[in-house]
This record gives sequence, structure tokens and C-alpha cells, in this order.
Amino acid sequence: MTELSEAEALIGDDARAVIGHELNRTVGTVRRLEFQRWAAAVGDRNPLYFDAKYARAHGYRDVAAPPLYLAYIGASVVDLDQLRPDGLARQSGSGVVPLPKCPRRMAGGDDYTFHEPVYDGDVITTVRRLAELEPKAGRSGPFVLMRFHTTFTRDDGVLVGEVAGSLIARPAKGA
Amino acid sequence: MDDQVYFEDVTVGAEIPPLCLAVSRVQMFFFSAATYNGHRIHYDVTWARDVEGYPDILVHGPLQVASLARALTDWASGGGRLIRYAVQNRGTAHPDEELQFRGLVTALRPDGDRGLVELEIRGEKGGTVLMPGTATVSLPRRGKAGE
Repeated sequence: MTELSEAEALIGDDARAVIGHELNRTVGTVRRLEFQRWAAAVGDRNPLYFDAKYARAHGYRDVAAPPLYLAYIGASVVDLDQLRPDGLARQSGSGVVPLPKCPRRMAGGDDYTFHEPVYDGDVITTVRRLAELEPKAGRSGPFVLMRFHTTFTRDDGVLVGEVAGSLIARPAKGA
Repeated sequence: MDDQVYFEDVTVGAEIPPLCLAVSRVQMFFFSAATYNGHRIHYDVTWARDVEGYPDILVHGPLQVASLARALTDWASGGGRLIRYAVQNRGTAHPDEELQFRGLVTALRPDGDRGLVELEIRGEKGGTVLMPGTATVSLPRRGKAGE
């Protein structure tokens, strides 16, 4: 068997059936304290995120959320007794794509487009779709590249941002 | 204005000031908390070593991603805006390793009262590229109302 066909065999029919479909949809409210905690954890004390006067002087109506914070607005509550053994939530993001032969997940890449800043109180709907499952033959063996497309839409219907993301799903060590 | 960089100040081939840092275990804990992330590879050394086969816990990919974006937004200052930002995670980083986040201007395009700067960006660890990518930053132009 070639490496690529080995990789194809990692993707079952139940996983293929999810391609093109919405994986999850969440509605979240942007909270200043939460995006400021995120920025501080990054070590990013940009005054646009912390100083309303500075932000207004630069054309914003208030402190703005850091652009990359968009990805966290839709975070849902997890049940600790339903986590995967590695601590990842089963129900969020990639967890709902059935790839039981590939339990190891690594970040792939992200391609963000930011259309509008978001502010404290904005209500954002996050919709994540599975765009593609690509079998790959890598240096360290076959894996599956999961491609997603996520949109972030404010409650007045304006698309504030979007991201084409990918995740690497690998077979268990020694499998 | 403070130390705003303007579109007219930028030339193709110029490098933005690099952001150099090391991520501590404490910062990793705070980032896991701030992102509601329970993934054990970011805090459980035994799990990272014995189950996943890494020498130590892994710095979160999204924290590297956010650090590279910070290099851009620090440079773009209050009048600049990150428009597009694409990165790939190629390598892993461990706590206390020295990381560098860099950007190189590859193209310039006027955009009405503003200007768009295209950059090649990368996160590195001692010359090894951990995270290559591209970005578009919108900058104000001197004397224009867009700022």
C-alpha cells in the first residue's frame, strides 16, 4: 500500500459524510474583561485593547478586541467528564469529525480575514464548517489534513471576520 | 500622533522590528486559562513525554500565532490595521525557548486614503522556522483624513 492510500484509509465514510457540513454554530457576547485577559496572557498590552481614549483617537468607538480574539468568542461550556483523554473537548471543533484512527491532533494553519473590529457587548455568531478532509503522506507517516471554514457574524448581519483553518489528525504513536 | 508608521515610510524589502521572547510555564498556564483550553500537552509534562512522545510540554500554536500577530500590530501602531493574516504551524516550541517573530515587506498597494502593505512573516526558534505565513496590513497615508 502506498503512503497516500494508507492515508486515505484513515478517512471512513462517516467522516466523508461530514464534508461540507456545518460542524457547530455558537452565539457569544464579546466581553472586555475576557479579551483583555486574553491579550495580557499573550503579553500584548496594545492600548487599542486597553485604553478607550487612545482607541477613540484612532477611529474606534471603544477599546477593540484583538483581531485574533474572534476565534474565542464562540467558546462553549465543556463537561469535564466528557473530555478526551488528552483533555480536548469532544464536542467542540474537530472533535465532531469522526476520525477514530487519528486521535492525535496538531494545529495546521489559519488564514484570517478581518473585516470589522468588534467591541464589548457585540453578539457574534460563529459558524464552523468542515471544508475538506485531505489524505497526506508526510515524513513521519500518513495523516489527514482537516480543512475548516469559519465565519464570524455580528447580530446586525455584518460579517466581521472569517478564517480558513486546518488541523492535522495523526494516528496514535506506534499505531 | 505618537510613533505612527505611515504607508509612505515603508519600502519593499524592509524588515519590521522583530519581537523576541520566551514563553514561560506560567504564561502558558494563563493562556490555557484565557482560552478555556484543557489540552494536556500544554501543562502535563508526563502526558506530553510518555503518551505523545515530546521532550516537554508544547507552547500553544495559537499563542505563537498571537505573538506573530503582535509583532505586526506593534509595528502598525494605533493607526494601522491587520486585514489578513495567514500562518502555518510547522514546528513546536517548548517553554523558555527563545523565539523570534519577524516580518519582511514584499509589496505595497495604495488603497484610497490608506495603503496596503504585504508581508512575509515567520516565527522562528534560533533560525528554524516554526511558523511561516503572509499578512496584509493597512496603514494610514501622510496628510490623509483616513487616519
